[in-house]
Amino acid sequence: MAGNEVSLQARELTRVYQRGNEKILALDGVSLTIRRGEFVSFMGSSGSGKTTLVNLLGCLDNPTSGELDLAGRSIFGKGEILSEKRLTLIRRELFGYVFQNFYLIPTLTVRENVALPLAFYRKPGADAEVERLLKMLGMEHRMNHLPVQISGGEMQRVAIARALVNSPKILLADEPTGNLDSKRSCEIGEVLQELNRNAGITVIMVTHNPGLARLANRLIEMRDGRAYEN
Amino acid sequence: MITPFQIAYKNLLRKKARTLLTLVGIMLSTWVLVSLFGFNRGYEAALNRDIDNMGYQLMVMAKGCPYEAATLMLQGGKGLRYMEPSVVGDIAREPEVAQVTPILMQAFFDPNKGESGGIAGFYGVDPASYPAMKPFLRFRKGGWFHDSAAAEVVMGYEAAELEQREVGDMTMVPEKNVPLKVVGILERTGSQDDGTIFVPLKTLQRISQTDQITTIGIKVKKDADQEKLETRLYQLKDVQVVSFSQVKQTIMKLISTARVMVFSIAIIALLIAMAGVVNTVLMSVLERKQEFGILKTMGAMPLDIFRLVWSETLILCSLGGVAGIGFALLFARASDILVRRILPYAPSGGLVVIDLQLGLLTLAIIMSVGLLSGLYPAWKAGSIRPLEAIRGE
Amino acid sequence: MRQFVVQIVCFILVMCAAAAQPVLAAVGCDLNDADRDVPRLFPDSTGYKTVYLSIANRGGAPLLRKIENRLGVTYLSLYAPIDVPYTLYEVYRDKRKIGYIHGVNQKGQFGGIQVFMSQDLAGRIKTFYLQKITGSSASKFREAKFARRFEGVTLRDFDSFDPVRGKGTGRISEIVNPSPELETDFYGILRGLKKNLVLMEEFVFAPERGKP
Repeated sequence: MAGNEVSLQARELTRVYQRGNEKILALDGVSLTIRRGEFVSFMGSSGSGKTTLVNLLGCLDNPTSGELDLAGRSIFGKGEILSEKRLTLIRRELFGYVFQNFYLIPTLTVRENVALPLAFYRKPGADAEVERLLKMLGMEHRMNHLPVQISGGEMQRVAIARALVNSPKILLADEPTGNLDSKRSCEIGEVLQELNRNAGITVIMVTHNPGLARLANRLIEMRDGRAYEN
Repeated sequence: MITPFQIAYKNLLRKKARTLLTLVGIMLSTWVLVSLFGFNRGYEAALNRDIDNMGYQLMVMAKGCPYEAATLMLQGGKGLRYMEPSVVGDIAREPEVAQVTPILMQAFFDPNKGESGGIAGFYGVDPASYPAMKPFLRFRKGGWFHDSAAAEVVMGYEAAELEQREVGDMTMVPEKNVPLKVVGILERTGSQDDGTIFVPLKTLQRISQTDQITTIGIKVKKDADQEKLETRLYQLKDVQVVSFSQVKQTIMKLISTARVMVFSIAIIALLIAMAGVVNTVLMSVLERKQEFGILKTMGAMPLDIFRLVWSETLILCSLGGVAGIGFALLFARASDILVRRILPYAPSGGLVVIDLQLGLLTLAIIMSVGLLSGLYPAWKAGSIRPLEAIRGE
Repeated sequence: MRQFVVQIVCFILVMCAAAAQPVLAAVGCDLNDADRDVPRLFPDSTGYKTVYLSIANRGGAPLLRKIENRLGVTYLSLYAPIDVPYTLYEVYRDKRKIGYIHGVNQKGQFGGIQVFMSQDLAGRIKTFYLQKITGSSASKFREAKFARRFEGVTLRDFDSFDPVRGKGTGRISEIVNPSPELETDFYGILRGLKKNLVLMEEFVFAPERGKP
């Protein structure tokens, strides 16, 4: 259920890449607002700028120009380029990330993978979240298994649990079902939908999959570096 | 909850063969290094022990090659020429001299020893002055001679064992066929005394039909200027002076070239092992580039990633180092035997001495060099940006 | 992981504390130059293997008592009998074992006597050799004609002759002492030979017969 509180506000975000002598305009002055508790889906063909936009929204990169506020705090827009250290400090407070390739550590168990972020940064009460999240995502019976012993869908559930262990405000999912079959993709889509509806987590998702995209409250299409909302 | 150290340890288990090979490299270089340190310490200590067991600090003998003579003395051989007994009195009168003892070393041919005969050595000592020079000699059975010209022998432990002698048994001087009675058998000392057959000086002189001697043992007064005494002794006609501190220095010089070479090899082995560590960790970092990027999205700071990778180096070096020290201890005896085969002179007792202090020192060196080697891969891992890692997929 | 590291470190500490203790060994009986002596004692050999044995590692105190009873002595060796290292030379022709050479130290009148013998696989003496003996006329015991008297001797020949009392019948009793003034050494040699045969029986032949 979307709330009134603004989670994220982007104004005229632009990103230009330099490739040799060529300048590539990946993002062309995108402005949008995402409220707390919304489930926003970004769709578009390759090179449309969706990943670039989501990387900026997720503080994985600095924009060439434009402004970004997160949870009422100005992040980009003062003209300075934020260092990796500063970006990490922001990310760990606000975001959880889920990627197409799961990125579970093969030598750690499911429980250890979920607890991994706590080795580096731990919000109060995060220790108890490990088991709670695994239970919530239906993975409590696999706690002591290694990634090689579980299915692709189960791995993505573990990755989602890991992304949520430090109670982020925003869950950023970049092609979360890219490596899954249609059945597992549906399951993951439902998991994200449930997290959004029941736990009130703001979800920003990038996907090629129209069926998955329709699970969101908002669908934004990216074309040639610009955002078009249906 | 999982700790960064546990993550590092489990990361090393991903490529077991690679980790094992790197560990073996570190283990081997540690083994060589600690054995060398142990040899360095043990050889000098064993040499000092052998020299202390002589009971005197200086020897005077008839002129000949000093180093050969000294080595022969230390190994219980015979001197090259004889000296007049009057030299004893001359030396005793020197102000720096606390005690002197005349010695005659004599060898006789025994046709019934081995396939074509062999040499039997006897050590003629003055019962009045020699025991005072070696107060630490203990008797297993019996005691010293009853008088200065008695037809008696005192045997070192191993000499008695070889000849199956007890106190009261007879032994015979070959070639001269003179029977002598065993009156004492010494306790084992671990020095060349164990293989020595002691005879009263006058008895051996009588058997050899000579009144001359081969060596004079000199004990110097406590605060006397030994160098001054040596200089004066050099003026004596037809004799040469062997100072055990000189002997020790000479022997140490002889082996120092070998030591330097082997140390160089050990250092090279260490550097090669560390290059292996750098290679292993760096390869692992490059393989896990995306993973490190993702760890940063989870909240790991660059320093956290640096520490994670550096911990892997720490684990490799500490396990390899401890294993190397363990193997060195296990095979210290074999190393001892090998060193004895190679060196021209090896003192009695353990040559490779590895103790706790040495083990810890070697471990500290291995870990310091290892941690230094691990700096670059750790820095590289810490510098990875999440976006580059994700784009790289 | 931490426990594992602590265990390893403790092991190293214990080893360091016990390290560098010199091991003092009992004196054994080896050939002076095995490369030269083995072909001489066993002319049809092409190679040999050296094996080290001791009563301590072959049977301990019970074996020592058994051997002493067989020899009729209260001590096998004056010094550290259970630890004395016995050197056994296994003699080969190409890859086939053809016999053994073994020596023992025996007390003689003026010194130790080193009594060596080479045996075929049935335990018969092929050659007899005194590597060391002391005494003015001891050389007579090292003559070839004395050594030949022992060719073909087995342990059974000592069943009818007691070298401790110097009395008995059979082959051994027929061997004449070539050096009457060294009677102690003559019987010492016989006792040394019997000791050698008994040790070889206990170390080698009895275990080989016991094998399936």
